[in-house]
Amino acid sequence: MKINYQDLINFVSEKPSKEDLSQKLFQLGHEHEINGDIFDMELTPNRGDCLSLIGLARDLAVFFGVSNSIDLFNDDIESLEINFENLSPNDCPKISFLEIEIEDSKVEYKPYLENYFNTVGAGKANIFTDISNYISYELGQPTHCFDRESIKAKIIFENRVCNTTFKTLLGSEVLLKDRNCVFTSNDEIISLAGVMGGASTACSSNTKKVLVECAYFNPESIIGKSTKYNLTSDAAHKFERGVDIASQEMVLRRFAKVVQDHAKIKSIRFKSFSEAYNQDLNIPIDVNKINKILGMSLKNDEYLRHLKGLGFHFADNKIKVPSYRHDIETNNDLAEEIARVIGYNNIKSIPINLKSVANNYGDKVAKLESLLVNNGFSEVINFPFSSNNDKGSINIDNPLDSNRNNFRISLKDSLIENLLYNERRQKDSIKIFEISDIYTKDKVIKQQKKLGLIISGRLGHNYNDFSKKLDQKYLNNLLNKNNDEDIFEITEILRSSLNTKKKDKIFYVEIPIEDIPMSFFSKLSTQQRSIDFINYKPISEYPSSARDFSFVIEDVQVVHEIIDMLDNISDKIIKDSFLFDYYKDDKRKIIKLGYRFIFQSHLKTLSDSEINKKVNEILCPILEIDGVSIPGM
Amino acid sequence: MSNLDNINLPATSNESGTLHPINQTKDYLLNLLADFGFKEVHGPEIETEEFNFDMLNIKKSHPARQMHDTFYAEGKKNVLRTHTSPVQIRSMLESKPPIAFTSAGKVYRKDDDATHLPMFHQVEGIYVDENVTFANLKDLMHQILHELFGDNVEIRFRPSYFPFTEPSAEVDILSESGKWLEILGCGVVNPVVLKNCNIDSNKYSGLAFGLGVERIAMLKYGVNDIREFYKSNLDFLAQFK
Repeated sequence: MKINYQDLINFVSEKPSKEDLSQKLFQLGHEHEINGDIFDMELTPNRGDCLSLIGLARDLAVFFGVSNSIDLFNDDIESLEINFENLSPNDCPKISFLEIEIEDSKVEYKPYLENYFNTVGAGKANIFTDISNYISYELGQPTHCFDRESIKAKIIFENRVCNTTFKTLLGSEVLLKDRNCVFTSNDEIISLAGVMGGASTACSSNTKKVLVECAYFNPESIIGKSTKYNLTSDAAHKFERGVDIASQEMVLRRFAKVVQDHAKIKSIRFKSFSEAYNQDLNIPIDVNKINKILGMSLKNDEYLRHLKGLGFHFADNKIKVPSYRHDIETNNDLAEEIARVIGYNNIKSIPINLKSVANNYGDKVAKLESLLVNNGFSEVINFPFSSNNDKGSINIDNPLDSNRNNFRISLKDSLIENLLYNERRQKDSIKIFEISDIYTKDKVIKQQKKLGLIISGRLGHNYNDFSKKLDQKYLNNLLNKNNDEDIFEITEILRSSLNTKKKDKIFYVEIPIEDIPMSFFSKLSTQQRSIDFINYKPISEYPSSARDFSFVIEDVQVVHEIIDMLDNISDKIIKDSFLFDYYKDDKRKIIKLGYRFIFQSHLKTLSDSEINKKVNEILCPILEIDGVSIPGM
Repeated sequence: MSNLDNINLPATSNESGTLHPINQTKDYLLNLLADFGFKEVHGPEIETEEFNFDMLNIKKSHPARQMHDTFYAEGKKNVLRTHTSPVQIRSMLESKPPIAFTSAGKVYRKDDDATHLPMFHQVEGIYVDENVTFANLKDLMHQILHELFGDNVEIRFRPSYFPFTEPSAEVDILSESGKWLEILGCGVVNPVVLKNCNIDSNKYSGLAFGLGVERIAMLKYGVNDIREFYKSNLDFLAQFK
């Protein structure tokens, strides 16, 4: 909600600076951003009463002198003869109507009304609708303007089952379904109550006679409607949070006053319809309860002074909650009021004494994680949504899209996707795992924690493992070797079913943790973990490029020196490097080294010439050593 | 020429993998809270509206209960939990004060854009005993934030609104660039919630708090894009050794 600083300080006698005002609004819990004179307020959903100039001013009154004098139409108003019936008073316990006729609808706006449109960045419609919007900004109460001449029959408010198209005053057509609170006339829906009026009865620039409807709708009767019908509505936003049921006559008198500021009024009539509703909420005064909640020793007079500053009244040793404060019901609510006034940051901290408890690092999951991480596996976390409606899948009623309308019943598809994703990024040795709860339904929903792991590609990036492949034997050695019988079932995932040209075999394991016997875990050790919050460096999205070099070392005494030199080469475009081949030629008394560099830039795709230039820089000092050569170079 | 047999083979080291940075951060927070006396409890990700909303005083009219904010499942019989608080409700129903629980894990909101994901992780804590106050909450939050961000970090409490706590607060820290960053939500447990869990709210009171694991991980590691955590890119994951 956008509020103009100049409009707000009209109510505040001290005329605080923007900084002072901002600081006090933050203390009260009203987050905002400031752009020039505009305060863009982000209010919590319990503070619907603050969605207006007067609402914020009421809260600020605890810190500043705030004048509550709003110019009203103070003349006597005739009673309105209106054919109206409220068929659903539970949804609308109080409603008032104001009928005004003016001589000429072509008017020049006063500066305060003109400025409002600059503040909120809205376009103008017609004098009555514009005043209605301004009143909502000023007082927080939405009103709706019907062109009086367009309604000839009885007006009915009802909560009815709809299946009809409704054309809004903004011209959009929505299909109303299920139950909605509506105003009807002659069985035609003329307004979607609390959300938006209809086109057929909307005011235009020619309207001279208006019927202003001003209501309190039960928030639960309105909530969700604007979203359901995709209608952006400031009125719905306010009604959903609760408006002031006691303010209708004041609001309509203010409406009349603003009309009077702009046009000559020919006639004005008013009528209010009210059902019995529980208006007064009283809470016994008990400062001890407040102190017990906050951990303070506030005195009674201080307590009452703070509440009085916020607009609370007192009678018979009870606190009378203002009609606009729907968020205040209990002493905890009052304690929050006091804490806001004192300032959360000014309340002294008091320590609690709790004894530390053991963490759960020794459990099965932690042991599995340690085993896998120590053996080069990386853990992934996947979203559980799937397009597969497998047997036992839990269906999402309102998915983000049709590809995510079920809960996965297995980790397999996610892990295959992770594998292919990394293969497309030139990863040639992939070992990943995920441990996650999996949910399925039979008669009831079943929860099972599962381990899934997938491998493919080279066994490792060192000269022993480079030419070997990750395979069934590898997984058997890792998981099944020390057990009397095979616990982990290893399956091959055939590439033919996947969209990939790679040839390396893929092996997969999935097992519920509860199916792994204790004897397996008893052989695993627990490691105390400590976290090192490294300084993350963004990864490159550009392709990498590998270069392999075959060194012939004739003076074998320098072989370790050469390997050290290679291992210590670093550069911003070298992503990785490793010795992938080591061969002793006993006959020729030489050693051959195979060394791979992987190049990648954060800025671009590297060209061959850029890589070759870097290669020359790397190799020159090594090739200057006697007895070291690269055949062919 | 030297004898080749005298040349040692080069050393090979096993390349270790990594735990996911979100799980590392989650475990770190749970460990920290265990030191503060909070014991971890567990519960399901697929919940009922009763435990996810009603028991936590989140009324039918609350915006969070709308279809655009919450994933509903199985013909509205269930919800994907929108926070880990229902785990605490389940645990409170089975315990008597004093209690100090943490709940941690995946939660779901119907969101998917540059800064919001449909699934993320929370760590929440609740402490219920006699005479637990807002002043106690402040002290505990200060201690936790000093552990996380250092003794000199500047901390700010702001009033906020959660249906299950009253008073409620959001807590910010001042970043090095001079900007306030929202870190956690907390409050005094609403007595309605205690009553719902059969705890005598005249005798007992509580404090509760919740941290977003991704938020903490992003700040501590310097990851700017939340989506990076869920691409399963091995180059990304390899950094968190």
